Amino acid sequence: MKSLVSIREGGLANWALRLGAAAFVIGLVFWVPTSAGAGLISTAIEALTLMSAAMALNLILGYTGQISIGHSAFLGIGAYTTGIMVSRWGLSPWITFPAAFVIAFVVGVIVSFPASRIKGVYLALVTLALGLVFPQLLTWKKLSWLTGGGAGLPNDDSQLQTTGFNIGRKSGQMQHFEIFGWDPFGDLRRPDNKAAFWYWIAAVVAVIVYLVCRGVVKSRVGRSMVAIRDNETAAAVMGVNLVKTKAMVFGLSAGLCALPGCVIAIKIGSVSPEGIASLTVKGAITFLIVMVIGGAGSLWGPVIGAALYVFVTEKTGEWANDDAIPALIRPLFAWAKVPPGDGIFAILLILLMFVAPRGIVGVWNQYSSRIVRVLPRPAGAVGPAPMAVAVMSTVTDSEREPE
Amino acid sequence: MALFFQRIVDGLSYGSVYALIALGLVIVYRGTGHLNFAQGEMALFCAYFVYQFGEWGIPIWPAMFLGMGVGFVVGSATEVTLIRPIAKRSPFAVFIVTIGLFTFLNWLDGAIWGNQQLPNSGVGSKQLKYPSLFPNDPQDQWLPFGVSIRYERVGILVLVLVLTGLLFLLFNKTKFGLSMRAVASNSESAKLTGIRTNRVLMMSWGLAAAIGALGGVVQAGLNGNVNLGLMFTVFIYGSAAATLGGFDSPGGAVIGGLMIGVIENLASGYLPKWVGQEMKLGVAFIVILAVLLAKPSGLFGTAKVERV
Amino acid sequence: MTLLKASGLTAGYGPVTVLQHLDLEVQEGEFVVMLGANGAGKTTTMRAISGLISRQGHVEFEGVDITKAPPDAIVRAGIAQVPQGRGTFPELSVEDNLHTGAFIRSDADSVRDDIARWLEVFPRLAERRHQRAGSLSGGEQQMLAIARALMSRPKLLLCDEPSLGLAPLITQELFAVLEGLHRDEGLSVLLVEQNANLAMHIASRVYLLETGRIVASGSAAELSADDSIRKAYLGF
Repeated sequence: MKSLVSIREGGLANWALRLGAAAFVIGLVFWVPTSAGAGLISTAIEALTLMSAAMALNLILGYTGQISIGHSAFLGIGAYTTGIMVSRWGLSPWITFPAAFVIAFVVGVIVSFPASRIKGVYLALVTLALGLVFPQLLTWKKLSWLTGGGAGLPNDDSQLQTTGFNIGRKSGQMQHFEIFGWDPFGDLRRPDNKAAFWYWIAAVVAVIVYLVCRGVVKSRVGRSMVAIRDNETAAAVMGVNLVKTKAMVFGLSAGLCALPGCVIAIKIGSVSPEGIASLTVKGAITFLIVMVIGGAGSLWGPVIGAALYVFVTEKTGEWANDDAIPALIRPLFAWAKVPPGDGIFAILLILLMFVAPRGIVGVWNQYSSRIVRVLPRPAGAVGPAPMAVAVMSTVTDSEREPE
Repeated sequence: MALFFQRIVDGLSYGSVYALIALGLVIVYRGTGHLNFAQGEMALFCAYFVYQFGEWGIPIWPAMFLGMGVGFVVGSATEVTLIRPIAKRSPFAVFIVTIGLFTFLNWLDGAIWGNQQLPNSGVGSKQLKYPSLFPNDPQDQWLPFGVSIRYERVGILVLVLVLTGLLFLLFNKTKFGLSMRAVASNSESAKLTGIRTNRVLMMSWGLAAAIGALGGVVQAGLNGNVNLGLMFTVFIYGSAAATLGGFDSPGGAVIGGLMIGVIENLASGYLPKWVGQEMKLGVAFIVILAVLLAKPSGLFGTAKVERV
Repeated sequence: MTLLKASGLTAGYGPVTVLQHLDLEVQEGEFVVMLGANGAGKTTTMRAISGLISRQGHVEFEGVDITKAPPDAIVRAGIAQVPQGRGTFPELSVEDNLHTGAFIRSDADSVRDDIARWLEVFPRLAERRHQRAGSLSGGEQQMLAIARALMSRPKLLLCDEPSLGLAPLITQELFAVLEGLHRDEGLSVLLVEQNANLAMHIASRVYLLETGRIVASGSAAELSADDSIRKAYLGF
């Protein structure tokens, strides 16, 4: 395929491109909390948490090819870990992040063991059942000493939390967030500052999830994952330890998915089965839709997909808006008794399988390589890792993500 | 003792709906090797239509047959336009398409009929409650030995058994049924015997959706109304039933459905603290998991050797 | 008269072209054998004729163009195939397998007669009439596959490597049946094989296939007489 420009990987032009893209993203991330209104910040927080969940799901579904429609349960574990630990035991919310990660990780590993013996379609059913059972578990009377049952937490017999973050209690609320003596947000009782604070928590979590995903995907484990996705038997024959890899990835995927749950719990200030939509199966399906539309099996796919989803849902949710975009879509959906967002994405998902199965990222890769082509480093080193890559690239369909 | 009997009867009638959904899943799976994730939502869509037919004054039995017709159209159209072209790419793509269809149909129901339950005086429904196929006023029951056996419940069970019998005849005594079995068994050889495999696949999906439609209508009748969330859990129960019975055994699907209905109802009745109403779904979950670990091909299914 | 005629037949799988402008024909009443090593394109040829894969070029049957015809039309035209690897319906009973063979027929009584007839020709199938086809031995399944193909009363029988994986004794039995049908009822047969020995004795004509092209054709006697061909392809 002809391209206008060819540049070498690792060369100056390549670095310039990468830095430019990075600058753009960083600029965007910083612009939101400083210049945008409260509504946009709230939307951005939603996008960031959705992104994190979708990236987590991508590890097990996009890269390893194991179907899971129950990741909402892991997000729920994250949210409830925070809720329980803060409002029942008065712990600091910061601790809940690693705690939620560990708990979800363990659950993920446990789920992966039967999953190893279950083939694709059945795994989808099991994870769907898990996703459906989880909210029911929360309302189960036998567990309400922990979960607060249907009403959620905090409830009347929660302890006062002492470190603030305002999960349900006005007193003892944290007033300033100080890090090494620096107070970047000011008085946290003011809604603007609080919003900015939550935004940054969400952004940091998203960045952490991204970096972890990136690290895993680019490592040897990442190649094992793709090998499993493309042909499990061949992967086993090539020396991939199926059970161990799947367990690790499932655990990691679950643990990472719990983190946005913590963020949501902190932001909303309470946890309950009704209050957090993302811990139901609908949430799990949303993660999947977002991931596939953005581009399954790519690092930026879930990010783009989540941003698009939140953006479109916002714009089509309120017919009172007179923005340009609703004006285009409105005539198509004026008859609908509910907002068209979900319908649009469902149709988009189906269409995508026909025209662009690799999602938006796939389309970008196809067309951007007509303009700029990054030539890989010449093969030099001999050894197991490059050899594995060479073998696997004949087995898999490896793609380059935009940097 | 009487209560036990009643719980069994009730369980069988709920199980009948699961059996219907499971039947649809199994017919599609046998024919095309795919799990139709949208099976429950197709059924729901038809159930909404039947409500609409009722609003237009059509009595329930003709309305139900019309609804099954709608289901047949939806199912076969899906196979031809969405599944067949995508199946060439990968099973994953088909899976995504059915998930997309699941979401789309559920959204469409809300878009057309709104997200409140129906019938609903608030939106001017003429019907007071969702019509049932069998008389279900409070007094429509037998009362032997103090047990309440409602006509409706028995009617549903009989209906499902009759349907199962008809399907048995279709599969085993008709030429079309033979072609369905042949295609499920070895679709390339089926082509070599002059069977039009594409037509068989299309009809399989149509038939499955029509059966599902019946399930949706029955469930709505039992529930008294139709609403957007009606078929989520039913779909899972149906999948559990298909798993239990074996995904390639229609008879297994029916038995599985009835069994799960009974188990679930007995569990929630006799263990109200442990299972109660909240954890009924947990029963389904445990069943699926246990079967998949112990005997993945289900009670009546045949284990397939996997080709590398 | 010419029953089957293929000219310039080109077919393959996706980007890989296997058959390159193949020309072959089968006259009425002939028993034609196509020999070739693994990968030569024998099965591809069979699948192309039966319409299972897309093909370019020209294929005619009884003077009618079947190049673009779907598989079911080709069966109705009178071509039946015994595919490679038996291709029975493992979950169906022996009897049901035979019924599928008669799918295109509507004369129920004659179908029943035919089933009875084939169960007589293959007594081992009669013993297992109601058994699942998948539980039969390789040889029995091969017999079943042949009987199934013949149930449609074809004018041309295509056989793809019937001896594959079978013991020599069973293979001889099968070839004897095929030879009998050819001789007594004038059944036209196109048979592809790796096993040259058995096939050569019955053949009216032989084609040699190599990497998708016909490299030699003639009567069995002619090809055996040619030293180089004999040594290279026929192994003796």
